[in-house]
Amino acid sequence: MLELKNITKTYHKSSSLFTALDNISLKVDRGDYLLVSGPSGAGKSTLLYVAGGMIRPDAGEVKYEGEDISGMNNKAKNEYRRKHVGFVFQQFHLMPFLSVLENIKMACYERSQLEAVDSYMEKCFLTPLRNKKPSELSVGEKQRTAFVRAIITRPGLLLADEPTGNLDPANSEILMSLIDDFHREGGTVLLVSHNPVASKYAGKQIVLSEGKIVSGE
Amino acid sequence: MMNSLRLIIKELLYRRGSTLVILLTVIIASTVSVAIYTLSKASENETRKIMREQGLNLYIFPKGTNLIDFFSVNDTPVFPEDYVEVLAGSRTFDAVRHLTGILQVKYNDWKDPNGSSHQILLVGYKDEAMQRFLPKQEIMGTDVVEGTVHVGSLLSRNIPDNTPFTITGRDGSQYSFEVAKRFEEGRGMLDQGVAFNLHDLQNILGMEGKINKIEALGCICHDGRIKNARKQVQEIFSDLEVAEISNIADARENQRLMMNKYGSFIIPFIILTCLLITALLFYQNVTVRNREIGLLKAMGRGNATILFLFLAKAFILGLTGGVAGFFTGTWIAGYFGKEIFLFTYSAIKPVWSLFIVTLIIFPVLWMLASWIPALRATQIDAAKTLSGE
Repeated sequence: MLELKNITKTYHKSSSLFTALDNISLKVDRGDYLLVSGPSGAGKSTLLYVAGGMIRPDAGEVKYEGEDISGMNNKAKNEYRRKHVGFVFQQFHLMPFLSVLENIKMACYERSQLEAVDSYMEKCFLTPLRNKKPSELSVGEKQRTAFVRAIITRPGLLLADEPTGNLDPANSEILMSLIDDFHREGGTVLLVSHNPVASKYAGKQIVLSEGKIVSGE
Repeated sequence: MMNSLRLIIKELLYRRGSTLVILLTVIIASTVSVAIYTLSKASENETRKIMREQGLNLYIFPKGTNLIDFFSVNDTPVFPEDYVEVLAGSRTFDAVRHLTGILQVKYNDWKDPNGSSHQILLVGYKDEAMQRFLPKQEIMGTDVVEGTVHVGSLLSRNIPDNTPFTITGRDGSQYSFEVAKRFEEGRGMLDQGVAFNLHDLQNILGMEGKINKIEALGCICHDGRIKNARKQVQEIFSDLEVAEISNIADARENQRLMMNKYGSFIIPFIILTCLLITALLFYQNVTVRNREIGLLKAMGRGNATILFLFLAKAFILGLTGGVAGFFTGTWIAGYFGKEIFLFTYSAIKPVWSLFIVTLIIFPVLWMLASWIPALRATQIDAAKTLSGE
């Protein structure tokens, strides 16, 4: 489903070059739940955004369902993200001027997705909060809203970047089980996390260090 | 599904502070522009009104005539009164309006009803010519009905009420005219003169078909067109020349130029200042919304959508502020116009043609001001902003 072949990505930091990903190859099959862990600066987030078509690698290929993402033009990449990818971030990134309901609806691009909003909100305990603004929510509620926003389009691939990083253990557990539900319903998950709870849910795990896979795969 | 317009409205209402400041910049720019323009138009109307009160400001007469002769000698050069129709019928003659053919002579020995002798001025007015290729205008010249006269204030004292004005013609006959009007004093040489219908005076003097000057009004128009009057007249009749009664013309030009001068400085200055403030606020808005923009990109929204979010926001604010400014500016022009323009303040009304311009220009200008910030928004690195690096 998702294949990263010999991916290299370097950044200029001050006057030196920093290699975030160093010739990484990775294959994620449909229905996989892959946990990416490793120390800070290991290249975990870069790997995630490369997979999401938001960072163009310096070398290598990213293929989704056989199509080369890294070689796509911006319009095709946007289409890829809109239809096939859902993102969950550590900082939630909710629109502060939209309600919970509107934040979720914002991701929808088909009427059938709108029809599913209520059931997803119910499942994630957001129904009573539907008209509240992000500033009125707890961190757990914010992250659940961001999660529903990510999966409301029923993406093939869920990319989660430290989604429990700001949550307490109880809320982390709720979110991880929601991600797990998504996975059980056939979704593919690529999760970047330091959270030890995550390994309980993930079927596969890789550890990155200095841009290289040091274990797993 | 949430359309971009709804997203813009929500954001405008959420960030009320910056929305209000940007809106205020448009309202200020629009108000100042509309008020100055409306006052400038009012000034033009006021000047026109004053000019009408003062009389015509251009003389067209045979070359070689000394203007002083109109008031001191009997026989100034004459030319056919048909010249007036020829000028009025010319397609290229548009720098002058209210063409009035005149025969003006000094009459040395007029006897009043008491038998006293006086030197008076006789002025025969031809009906004002309608210029065939220019819009119709209200008649401005002196219209005297045949068989009647209008007498100047000094002369009037020597003619008792209900007494006709009587004068001896060149042929020795007595001509008698009903006094239809007695002018108030303050009409210059005409205070000691008599205004006739041109054909009556030509008959008295035996000068049928002759006039010795055309009085006219150089139109209130762009700089240089009064000067054009000379050129245009001489292209048609090389034997005529044009003189400007400068004190009247200068007063009119100075007032108009003063308004134009201030307007041409203040309006661009205010608009540019407001645009600069708007550009800075939009720039700040992009910075504040870094993550929102990154999120939109992560959700597959393209650069066109992001550009639209900023440009449409600028359009909405430009339109709303422009409309509000139009009505505020018109109100201000009306309010202050009452103090400034004694004759025409009641005629200060919304300039609707300016309203149309306002509907276009302010949204476009404010979109231009937001253009660079909007472009910057499209360049935001979504991965960087969303990962919190």
